Amino acid sequence: MGRKKKKTLCSIWLYLALLLLAVCTLFPLFWAISSSLRSDTEIYTYAMPFTLQTLFPVELTWDSYKQLFTEFHFMRSILNTLIVVIVLIPCGCLINSIAALPFALFDFKFKNTIFAIFMVSFMIPFESIAIPLYNLVNQLGWVDTKTALIVPALANGLTLFLFRQFFSDIPTSLIEAARVDGASWATVFFQVIMPSSLPVFITAGLMLFVTQWNAYMWPLLVGRSESSRTIMITLATLKMENQTLWSCLYAGSVLSAFIPIALFLPLQRYFVEGVTSSGVKG
Amino acid sequence: MKVKRKWIPYTMLLPAFMLVCIFKIYPVISSLMDGFTSHGHFSLEVYKSLLKDATFWNSLWVTIKFNLICIPLQICIAFILAMFANAKVKGIGIFRTIYYLPYAVSLTVATMIWSLMFNYNSGVLNSLLMKLGFSAQGFLNDSKQALFCIIIIATWKGCGYWMMFILAGLKNIDGEIYEAARIDGAGFFHTVFKITLPLLKKVLLFVCVANTSSNVLLFAPMQLITNGGPKNSTDVLMYEAYKSAFKYADRSRSAAIVSVLLAMIILVATLQFFLLGEREEKPKRKRKGR
Repeated sequence: MGRKKKKTLCSIWLYLALLLLAVCTLFPLFWAISSSLRSDTEIYTYAMPFTLQTLFPVELTWDSYKQLFTEFHFMRSILNTLIVVIVLIPCGCLINSIAALPFALFDFKFKNTIFAIFMVSFMIPFESIAIPLYNLVNQLGWVDTKTALIVPALANGLTLFLFRQFFSDIPTSLIEAARVDGASWATVFFQVIMPSSLPVFITAGLMLFVTQWNAYMWPLLVGRSESSRTIMITLATLKMENQTLWSCLYAGSVLSAFIPIALFLPLQRYFVEGVTSSGVKG
Repeated sequence: MKVKRKWIPYTMLLPAFMLVCIFKIYPVISSLMDGFTSHGHFSLEVYKSLLKDATFWNSLWVTIKFNLICIPLQICIAFILAMFANAKVKGIGIFRTIYYLPYAVSLTVATMIWSLMFNYNSGVLNSLLMKLGFSAQGFLNDSKQALFCIIIIATWKGCGYWMMFILAGLKNIDGEIYEAARIDGAGFFHTVFKITLPLLKKVLLFVCVANTSSNVLLFAPMQLITNGGPKNSTDVLMYEAYKSAFKYADRSRSAAIVSVLLAMIILVATLQFFLLGEREEKPKRKRKGR
């Protein structure tokens, strides 16, 4: 009996700790949602002293969201970001997965050297090359176009690595059988390899999505005009130019966080599995 | 596997390889060269003037301070989160999802939400502090606190992500080892330090290196909310490099600063390899080969 009692007590403490951590994690998000649903005056009025009304809106209003779309052309930036992402994800997945294939299947000259170059490219943080990259893109005449946001992000060492890890586990007999039957490499790739690697394609797609969706420095450099501004840049501009429009800032934050979260929740299983296997299997 | 035609692997590689060379490798080389060029020919002038520059030294110090606090803090919290998320109780999946939710939120958004919460006059944190009987804090306006505020933002956003890796590592550890330790009468802390941590070495190494490179180059919060201030207390090197390139149009200085940063990352990563990697060779390889 005593042991059982101790065990329940233990799990109560555990739940309390889990709950506390969850509150810390969720509070900023909750706060942003709650504040986005009230007017600016309401935010300021109830800010101090701290009461229940500080946390929960007294009068719910969608005004800040409306203002965001009418005055600040938020739809435009959402569309811009979506276009970039929709082009980037399939192209990026395709290029990286095809390039990962030989590393998993074949032996060829310079295999290790070329692989090392890919790995170096993924370890070099993007911020450190942003400036010379900007000059390059500028010479190509891509500044302020979506091309500048898409093309440099296509080849991605981490995604390639992920694909290689996964492809190494595909039994070669499967591929050899298809080859013996006279299938071309293209057929093998699209009809044998791709269908059996769906989880890794989802993971890679999600990773490309999050990186692109959350990218800040690069879009800041190459996408300043309204026609190619992404969500993050619109938000940053809003923040710097309109310090006092709090509810709008919150509404923008909520919207831009909502889309990736909505994608993540159903697909998280694949994502966690894929991402961690790249770090743990090594 | 053997291929009959030798060019096949190279054809598959080509698109990605070209893109990497043009958009990754070339900029790196060009960046390194820029730092050694002044008025069109090779010189060490840029680095010399950098060494005499008080702003540079201040930024270097801020960067080091930021990372010395931020990296261990994030890894500790991530480890604790992973330990909790690994508990086998009902509904743990929900908590796990909650913990890595901030990863889906971008740093820009995290910075904005937190900066409003940190606001001196009408921020929720100050109002909460006053309710609890403390005096209002300056947070981002206080040159002693601003850097810590940014550390909090980065930690809130980052920990869940690093937790995922550690959690995966924890799940790879054989449950029998714990059982054996329990029978031997090992206490909780003994188990953590003598069994869990050594077995997590490989994962921790990965997390350390990846975390270092992401934190050393972090500058979005500074660019968005503090502009390096107050009194240059949050003026990290990456922000200084950004300013050099895009505000003062001084490419060489910015390239030199970035090279210093890269050197720092490589140094710290090597150090971490030595500290965490040395005893990796001998046992516990069971689960790796696949």
